[in-house]
Amino acid sequence: MLNKLSITLAGATFILMTSTVSAHSPEMHKKANAEKPKCEGMQNMDSAKMDMNDPIMQAMMAQCMGNDSHGQGDQGMGHKEIEKTKEDMNKKGEHKDSAHHG
Amino acid sequence: MNTTIKYLIASLLIIISLVLGFLYSGFYPIGADNKHNALTFWVLETLRTKSIARASKDIEVPSLEGSQLLLSGGADYNDMCAGCHLQPGQKESDMSIGLYPKPPNLTLAAKDHGHDHGEGAHDDPDVIASQQFWVIKHGIMASGMAAFGPTHDDERIWAMVAFLQKLPELTPAQYQIITARQ
Repeated sequence: MLNKLSITLAGATFILMTSTVSAHSPEMHKKANAEKPKCEGMQNMDSAKMDMNDPIMQAMMAQCMGNDSHGQGDQGMGHKEIEKTKEDMNKKGEHKDSAHHG
Repeated sequence: MNTTIKYLIASLLIIISLVLGFLYSGFYPIGADNKHNALTFWVLETLRTKSIARASKDIEVPSLEGSQLLLSGGADYNDMCAGCHLQPGQKESDMSIGLYPKPPNLTLAAKDHGHDHGEGAHDDPDVIASQQFWVIKHGIMASGMAAFGPTHDDERIWAMVAFLQKLPELTPAQYQIITARQ
């Protein structure tokens, strides 16, 4: 009798613990018709004004470069635009570096 | 002495009766399209400000730099927060108009979005960040601000806090790109 009661209590405790609400995945927020990032605006940005250390710029690049790599070129930056932006940002970084050591 | 104590007890009982009578009468206007009188507003605002400041003061703020934090926090903000706390370029929404107390416009810097964060808070970004973390995690009772802690772990909440630090700087175009959930 005591064993059955113990087992019942242990089982109930286990069920309660496993039914605790836990953090849900970000995927649950994803809507079927979610808007894609509108990266065409980035193509018109002056790359000389882009700060490669700015997390905002890095986040935008991640969204738009990621779009292109998934073959959604309509929304993302084209390959040529990405390479040009990278080249411009690298040149800017070299210029800053040489100015620092100059 | 006995007489004084009796008078005090009688007075207390009368006050309690009046308060209970007022509560049960239903006369206090509770609609969100009304405003509290100045005294009630001051009491509730002070209570909220002091409570949040005390509860959040020992929270250690991690590094909030990093583009991945912006992407995670931004997408969550757009899904769960923007309806009330707005997006860049947006001045109001149905929720921001209809809720009382009015949800702060988080596209504005902390010192500009219309409520107090406690003495000296605006001079210390970590104080603001810790308060934002606490509010997102625990919510504010009777205010419309939900507690997201039961459904989102600390890492995701910190990502939202990181996003909030940058939100006042974002243009509508930047906001759209960063918050799009892919």
